[in-house]
Amino acid sequence: MNRKRALIADTFCLTKRRRCAADSVTGESQADIRSSLQYLVTLFSRKLFNDSLPPVVLKHQLYSLHNDKTSVDKQVNELRETGELLMFQLGFDSEAFALVFAEDYRAKVLQGEAGRGTLGTVEKFLTKLIPSCSDLSFNKEKMLKEFLFTDSEITQLVKSGVLTVRDAGSWWLSIPNSGKFIKYFIKGRKAVLGMVKKSKYSEILQTELEGRRTTSQVKFQMKYHIHDIIGAELVECIQTTSGTLLRYVDGNVN
Amino acid sequence: MLSFLYARQSGLDDPVRLRRAESTRRVLSLELNHNRDVDRIHGNGINTLDIEVIDGRYMLSGGSDGVIVIYDLENNSKKPQYTCKAICTVGRSVCRHVHKFSVETVQWYPHDTGMFVSSSFDKTMKVWDTETLKPAEEFQFDGNVYCHHMSPVARKHSLVAVGTKDPKVQLCDLKSGSRIHILQGHRGEILSVRWSPRYDHILATASTDSRVHIWDVRRASGSLFTLDQHNGDKSKTSSEAVNTAHNGRVNGLCFTADGLHLLTTGTDDRMRLWNSATGENTLVNYGKVVNESRKGLKFTVSRGCSPEFVFVPCGSSVAVYGLHSGELITMLRGHYNNVDCCEFHPDYQELYSGGKDCNILAWVPVLRQPDIEDEETNSKRGGTQAAINPAFEDAWSSDED
Repeated sequence: MNRKRALIADTFCLTKRRRCAADSVTGESQADIRSSLQYLVTLFSRKLFNDSLPPVVLKHQLYSLHNDKTSVDKQVNELRETGELLMFQLGFDSEAFALVFAEDYRAKVLQGEAGRGTLGTVEKFLTKLIPSCSDLSFNKEKMLKEFLFTDSEITQLVKSGVLTVRDAGSWWLSIPNSGKFIKYFIKGRKAVLGMVKKSKYSEILQTELEGRRTTSQVKFQMKYHIHDIIGAELVECIQTTSGTLLRYVDGNVN
Repeated sequence: MLSFLYARQSGLDDPVRLRRAESTRRVLSLELNHNRDVDRIHGNGINTLDIEVIDGRYMLSGGSDGVIVIYDLENNSKKPQYTCKAICTVGRSVCRHVHKFSVETVQWYPHDTGMFVSSSFDKTMKVWDTETLKPAEEFQFDGNVYCHHMSPVARKHSLVAVGTKDPKVQLCDLKSGSRIHILQGHRGEILSVRWSPRYDHILATASTDSRVHIWDVRRASGSLFTLDQHNGDKSKTSSEAVNTAHNGRVNGLCFTADGLHLLTTGTDDRMRLWNSATGENTLVNYGKVVNESRKGLKFTVSRGCSPEFVFVPCGSSVAVYGLHSGELITMLRGHYNNVDCCEFHPDYQELYSGGKDCNILAWVPVLRQPDIEDEETNSKRGGTQAAINPAFEDAWSSDED
């Protein structure tokens, strides 16, 4: 007796295809990503940063909600092209990208700059950036020629936190005051992974992990961290009869 | 299945469609079968496997002990239980020309089985005569030889591309024995080389400097292009990582059967699919493909199915991914230790994988279950008779003689 359910190619499942064809519409899939992003935004704790940061979501958290990574990537890129979403390179991992809704970003940055002398430059930068440009980093030539900023204006942008130094003559796009976010995030990720690792057999049911009391190291909501570690494949997801089991994957650099 | 047969019979469908659908179904049902075994000859891990292209009958394997073994994969006994026998061995005690250290790559001569080439960490590459099992030619190198490859489609040249510790890719000519042709451009050890199955002058090389170069060997100047994971978007990464194929060492290369796409794996735990004509990253996301190999990783792509599948050794199991969708179809678990190499048999849709546990496992498609009616008649005939495939049943000789 073959207990494993056999994998069947799509060509042989004609009835399944007829049923699915009625449901799938390409416009809907973009709305899927947007609704997942909005769900993840609710998990972000605003109060922690005294409301100075826009809600940040990591791109790999979306992989834990959707099966097909390639289509997630494609839709995120589409949202970036239309100027609705902004992507940032966080710096602690070359593969970890942060996503922020453009309006949130704009609102928070201007709120942070209110009353400071650099407000004008920052506003000019944001108007140039948001609908048209979807780059993660800028080099000096681009800033001077395309955006027509002067050197002193670039210094002001770096001071305000919108640009971070990448290397001589080029800058990453960044979120102001995000240093604290990255620190808490890395600490929290390590603590949650430690919880999984210390469990018996290095595995724990997802529902049990969500119910555990968080230590003082974990500042974000448990679900936020769980989506992160599943999406970054730092734990293996195994479907069991009692729900999803998270098993620690050996060989993690973290 | 019956609908496919009827459509082919009545001409509604292309004949290829039935073949592809059945091949895909067979690949999706790969599993370990206790009826199929491969002789265990190696005393140490198995680094490389190669099945010859002409008949698909003989398989070469090279091990960490320097031993090379040839197996016969065809089942001529009329029983379903079959062990692939080792026909001959280039062993330590038997042959004085045997490699001193680990054999890293073996490959049959692409046009017939009279010859095969093996390269090893003892800094040599030997061209063997299969009949006498003696090397007909030996090439000496300065550093460990990680990999070599002969073009499967070449008619005009017999060049073997060799990747060693030296950043220069060497091309050895089997016809003249010369090795003056060098391809310069890499800055680190060459971990993998592959000729394109579509054009006999296109070569891809992967190195520890995180770059993959595509060469046209007829040109005197450097490589045609380098594969860039960000497709030219210089803003996405830190400035040192610009124009690299991976964020770590690139240790595996595999062209798809039609030669239009190239797969690369790297120690940044990623696998990428590239358009081999333009070098564009197709951005198919396979997720985390665990890769800790310090030498080359040998993986393979299925042939004749739709959609195609990639078989990648991942730790102690073989991961099967859909080629263009990037989804993980299944993990084939069965080895006791790390899997180093795998090879796909396109005629029977079987997968052979070898690893550090000195075993070669054969993953065979599961046969369709017999109908309930047939099972009853079988049991009526007699319990002692093993179930024989009706194709092998003797229906003409009588019992009287």
